Amino acid sequence: MRLLVWCFALPLVLIALLILGALASLLLHLPWQSLQQALLSEETRFATLLSLQTSLLSLLIALCLGVPAAWLMARQQFAGKVWLETLLDIPLVTPPLVAGVGLLFLLGHRGTLGSQLAQWGIEILFSTTGILLAQIYVAASIIVRTARAAFAEVDADYARMAWTLGLPPLWSFLLVEVPMAGRGLAAAAVLGWARALGEFGATLMLAGATRMKTETLPMSVFLNISSGETGLAVASAAILLVMAFVLLLLTRLLARRRTIEIQHDPHPAR
Amino acid sequence: MTHIRLDNIGCRILAGLSLHVDSGQAVAILGPSGSGKSTLLKVIAGLLPASGKLYFDHQDISKQSPHQRGLAYLSQDLHLFPHLSVKRNLWLALLFGCPKGINKRERIRQALIQARAEHLAERWPTQLSGGERQRVALARCLARQPGLMLLDEPFSSLDPANKQALWQELDQLRRQLGMTLILVTHDPLEAQALADRVYNMAGGQLLSHDDPAVPAD
Repeated sequence: MRLLVWCFALPLVLIALLILGALASLLLHLPWQSLQQALLSEETRFATLLSLQTSLLSLLIALCLGVPAAWLMARQQFAGKVWLETLLDIPLVTPPLVAGVGLLFLLGHRGTLGSQLAQWGIEILFSTTGILLAQIYVAASIIVRTARAAFAEVDADYARMAWTLGLPPLWSFLLVEVPMAGRGLAAAAVLGWARALGEFGATLMLAGATRMKTETLPMSVFLNISSGETGLAVASAAILLVMAFVLLLLTRLLARRRTIEIQHDPHPAR
Repeated sequence: MTHIRLDNIGCRILAGLSLHVDSGQAVAILGPSGSGKSTLLKVIAGLLPASGKLYFDHQDISKQSPHQRGLAYLSQDLHLFPHLSVKRNLWLALLFGCPKGINKRERIRQALIQARAEHLAERWPTQLSGGERQRVALARCLARQPGLMLLDEPFSSLDPANKQALWQELDQLRRQLGMTLILVTHDPLEAQALADRVYNMAGGQLLSHDDPAVPAD
């Protein structure tokens, strides 16, 4: 047993070292003297603000779309559900760049939908709307998947009990099922936000990489590395890393609290 | 008080079942697991679809949703909402369908007193013992002052002493409040303690009814 543990520890250490190596190299490249200047530069501030604004708005929209969809997928059986589940998981396993190309063809001026939208004066490509669309695309998928698991953990009989107590189904959903799935939904929101914040590939296709216009933090890293402005690129990367760390920590804490609650609850939700 | 009539109720498990319960009467349905007795309660509560007609006080409610039927349903698992305190569990039951001008706080207090659970008002469901959970679930049903109460083996997990105490209290309450009650159980003693009439159920059919003093076979 001891030998097996040591053998299995080796790949674990290798993976950890790889991540640590990448992080350490980034830290070593941080321009400590000019870091404050890089962090406070107009470009970094613009990228940070745009990333926060778009990712939070995308998160809100993705939650509004994803939570009801997740509930439906968790509670209802219907023909073709397996196919729909597979379709919804596609953004999780394909590079967003691929989705970006597809969306570009759909929404471009020559695209099926894009040409129609252009006639109505709605411009999606190479604008903030393009960033939002790309972020919603990646966030909604992970929100549906995580929220669906959260709803599935809540025994549907709680909702039925609420109906017999006079609550209409929508209120039963809002006052019983959503709070009972609360921690899972919060985890879904954190993961969705993290995905939206770090989105790059689809954004590049849909919104382009224009300085001080569609420059989110990942785009700022890309633009500044491409133009040799390593300081600015590393500063943006550092901000992304700190945000990612905080969000991941939040997810871990939520999961830990849930585990503790289940361990101490003699009558868990399921 | 609610007068109940079921006409030719049928679904995957129930086979054209009819039942008539007078206002304020208590009926017990005995039967082994899988006989369809819980299904019958769910059909009455509107939780399962079925063919046939269901009348409350001569009004056809077959098409009504569960939240519109104005009854109380107490199941074996109780389903106290774990994210709400005991008091809030009762408050939720009064949120819809409660007549305007009713003092909800007073109604909650009354229901907790009736179920002898007033000392539990500030606790959380996870902090309650089995017996306490039953009392709180009962109080939640009573808070709505339902005309009809459906009981699906709600006391099956209790020890005999606790069970008998609750039977007595529930029987007294039912008579005092004039509630119509339909109970399903596999325990003839429970049926005898709570019901005016006992039916036996097998294969989705009500086969016989007797005086509760003589357990139906």
